Amino acid sequence: MRGAPIDVLQRVPLFADLNPDELAQIALLFKERDFNQGTTIIQEGSGGAAFFVIEAGEATVSIRGTPHSTLGPGDYFGEIALIDEGPRMATITAASRLDCWGLTYWDFRPLVEANGVIGWKLLQRMAMMLRDARAQQ
Amino acid sequence: MSRIVPLKAALDVAIHGAKAVGLGQALRDGLPVPEGFALSGPLVEAVTSGDEAAEAEVRAAVGSLAGPFAVRSSAIDEDGDASSFAGQHLTLLNVPGAAELPEALREIWWSANSDAAITYRQKVGRFSRPSVAVVVQTLPAPETAGVLFTRNPVTGADERLIEASWGLGEAVVAGLVIPDHFLLDRQGQVRERRPGYKTVAIRPVATGGTVEEELAPDLVERLCLDDAQLAALHQLALRCEAVHGPDRDLEWAFADGRLHLLQCRAITTSGS
Repeated sequence: MRGAPIDVLQRVPLFADLNPDELAQIALLFKERDFNQGTTIIQEGSGGAAFFVIEAGEATVSIRGTPHSTLGPGDYFGEIALIDEGPRMATITAASRLDCWGLTYWDFRPLVEANGVIGWKLLQRMAMMLRDARAQQ
Repeated sequence: MSRIVPLKAALDVAIHGAKAVGLGQALRDGLPVPEGFALSGPLVEAVTSGDEAAEAEVRAAVGSLAGPFAVRSSAIDEDGDASSFAGQHLTLLNVPGAAELPEALREIWWSANSDAAITYRQKVGRFSRPSVAVVVQTLPAPETAGVLFTRNPVTGADERLIEASWGLGEAVVAGLVIPDHFLLDRQGQVRERRPGYKTVAIRPVATGGTVEEELAPDLVERLCLDDAQLAALHQLALRCEAVHGPDRDLEWAFADGRLHLLQCRAITTSGS
């Protein structure tokens, strides 16, 4: 089968408001990417190449060496560095075998530019992160 | 445009990448390069996307090739003059057969789309979508392998520098051993012969992939090349220079009594 399974993407909040046709189009852009337990998927400070959706397994998030949160099926990560072409803001490590679907920068950017619904949801998430950061100051 | 061609028919760098075209040229010139196939970037991306027709196309074409395989990136811009993606783009050794190729292609495609690779692209001003062409070749199981510089890359002296060790050449390339060191003059006379300290060899394993194997004590400091093999390497250097020009960086392997040329590229670190 080509691209990510629709039911996996349907579980992702970022894509929750898309209709089935839009989802099917986006699914074709995703490519399978699996990681063994213990693999560092994203290293804080590195440039960003891809955005990932978790199909199965768990990953841990740490920032400046401090554990931050755990991600599981339906969660996604890696989008910020793709938006600003800046460094990764956290380290993501596979806490178990991790089955993901990845979307590279080269496909992510045109997708967001062409799809206002996704762009709006990304903005909402950025705004939420900004509020969280302010609240922690 | 053919998405998969025998290595000997790889002619266009824009389709199959510089590595594939270089190896294809070496085959056309009669150099002892292992047989293989060149896969275009769009075909590799289609396989990575899970396109079953593309997977079938690869399996059907490569089915005639004796395994196991070495599968290497030949991305379209990876050997640019000002940059080298060596170390960013993956090489997979000892992929058992055609059935395992789709997964191998996926891994290589992602290696060229990894954070490390994209960081490098940003650094060298090549921030553009990579086209990840790939070379699939029969992998010899060598007794001895290594590198040969047709000019000394450290001093720039007009002499052959050979570094060699037991097993696959990756032990030398990855710096896992202190390799045996040989210097030959341009007539092939041995000027210097210095045993290294070779505690491990990288060997293919039957189930795929490679293993780092501890070497028997009597092999650690025993020279792994004899005079006949050094003479064969000298002849190979002459042929490569005749075909490709001076100042070449070769990777080679002796397997089943035959010398194989695995890579022939311009030296990039030549001394003044």
